[in-house]
Amino acid sequence: MASISNDIFFAGITEVNQKLKAKEFSAVELAKAFSARLETIGPTYNALALSLRDDAHRAAKDVDDDLKRERFRGPLQGIPFGAKDLLAYAKHPTTWGARPYAGQVFDYTAAVLKKLAKHGSLLIGKLAMVELAGGPGYRYAGASLTGPGLNPWDRTRWSGGSSSGSAIAVAAGLATFALGSETSGSIITPSAFCGITGLRPTYGLVSRQGAMALSWTLDKIGPLCHSAEDCGLVLEAIAGADPEDPGSAGKSFYYAPAYARDLKELHVGYAPVDFEEGVDPAAHADYAKALDTLRSLGIELTEVKLPEFPYGATISTIISSEASAIFEPLIQSGQVDQLADQKQIAGLKAGLEIPAKDYLKAMRIRGRIQEAFRDLFAITDVLVAPARPTPAPKITQPLDRPLTDRPAPANPGLTALIPAGNLAGLPALSLPCGFANGMPMAIQLVGRPFSENELLTIGKAFQERTDWHKRRPPLGEAASP
Amino acid sequence: MPNEITRRELAGLIVAPALLAQTPAATAPTPDEELKAARDQNRQNQEQLAKFPLPMAVEPATHFRA
Repeated sequence: MASISNDIFFAGITEVNQKLKAKEFSAVELAKAFSARLETIGPTYNALALSLRDDAHRAAKDVDDDLKRERFRGPLQGIPFGAKDLLAYAKHPTTWGARPYAGQVFDYTAAVLKKLAKHGSLLIGKLAMVELAGGPGYRYAGASLTGPGLNPWDRTRWSGGSSSGSAIAVAAGLATFALGSETSGSIITPSAFCGITGLRPTYGLVSRQGAMALSWTLDKIGPLCHSAEDCGLVLEAIAGADPEDPGSAGKSFYYAPAYARDLKELHVGYAPVDFEEGVDPAAHADYAKALDTLRSLGIELTEVKLPEFPYGATISTIISSEASAIFEPLIQSGQVDQLADQKQIAGLKAGLEIPAKDYLKAMRIRGRIQEAFRDLFAITDVLVAPARPTPAPKITQPLDRPLTDRPAPANPGLTALIPAGNLAGLPALSLPCGFANGMPMAIQLVGRPFSENELLTIGKAFQERTDWHKRRPPLGEAASP
Repeated sequence: MPNEITRRELAGLIVAPALLAQTPAATAPTPDEELKAARDQNRQNQEQLAKFPLPMAVEPATHFRA
């Protein structure tokens, strides 16, 4: 049996697929090695919800048969991946990270998992998440059935969430890629905190069928990977119209960086204050270099302002209203009290009391936000900002208070870009770009609806000139299964 | 002389524990306090939204498409 070198656990999709086709190892050997690693190391970071070793083994045998017959299905064939445990996988528990749903089993499989199965990808496990994808808000990192996601770069710090296990699995080399979801920050945040690349697609590009709903009009499923290129490959596989998803945009996605616009033609908007007073001082130098790297690609950086709207109040009202409506049976039955986070419990209960007029007001403002972003993208192509202004917090730190003692700058810059971008349904790409006191920091690129190829082209070029995405956390004694 | 203590220092040693005993230890909010806080937050959100004027003709983005 071929031994799988440690480098393979951190290799990208194309490299692993090429080595499979070159018969350096079999899909069965690859699935076995990754499964062992996920089962042994995953729980030490509270990343694993459910191992699917046996199913992955069966699927891997089919992949090996196909490869023997030269039935190639594309770059994702034979690639081990994990899925956030809000994606249904038939006849296996799908817990939504929450105690009341610990024994929940569906008889159907989420659309995105069926698509990846057709590509020959190997689902090796369901990955831990913040309960109910964070609901209307939670106070502590421990808001999960599986406990706080521990950051592979520092186990005393949080992985970020709500796609905590997905980010940990990729950062710690437990899966070649993972699927997560974002309602407001749940792909971008853990990607930034764990030093990996995450893509939040345009709302409606990827089917939500078979995924737990937190907010019908805000939920997006997207990839967390080692690189922008890998995000493009996964997005191509999972995107597409789905009549089973009422929010489906009816569009496909083809990863085509060669056909994207010349980077020298791109205008990227930013707020200098975000990269100066707005971020941890220990990250200033790396952020300055990140902006210089973008400029070295021929990109013109121009100062912009975010349109002024009450983004926080708007997104909070929408999420609370929709989440409480979705989980009304949980709340009315009293089972909501079984959740781990007291703030989450209270928020769900209070959300049922939000008057329709408030929800509708928020949705009316939301339409205006979309118009304002269309105007902004008439003068700029992409926005860039720090993905998060601080590195990952300690797991005991309350998350509903400022994570830093530094006073907020008078100029807010683009700090509201996560809620604003999600309200407008915009795609975003998180790219690792440096460190602050040993913890990863990242930039986020946000574009027009369906401009993923533009973001990924910038991301790929950025990663050709930097190596932050290749850095590996010091896993230490937990590294070997 | 070694081990001398002033009368002021002695008074402080007697009073301090008594003062500490009167200071309540920090406790986690009760469920009712959490619920009140959540309702207060919703009300604050509503107040912020109410301050944002919109013409009557602006419709909700209920047929949401990106």
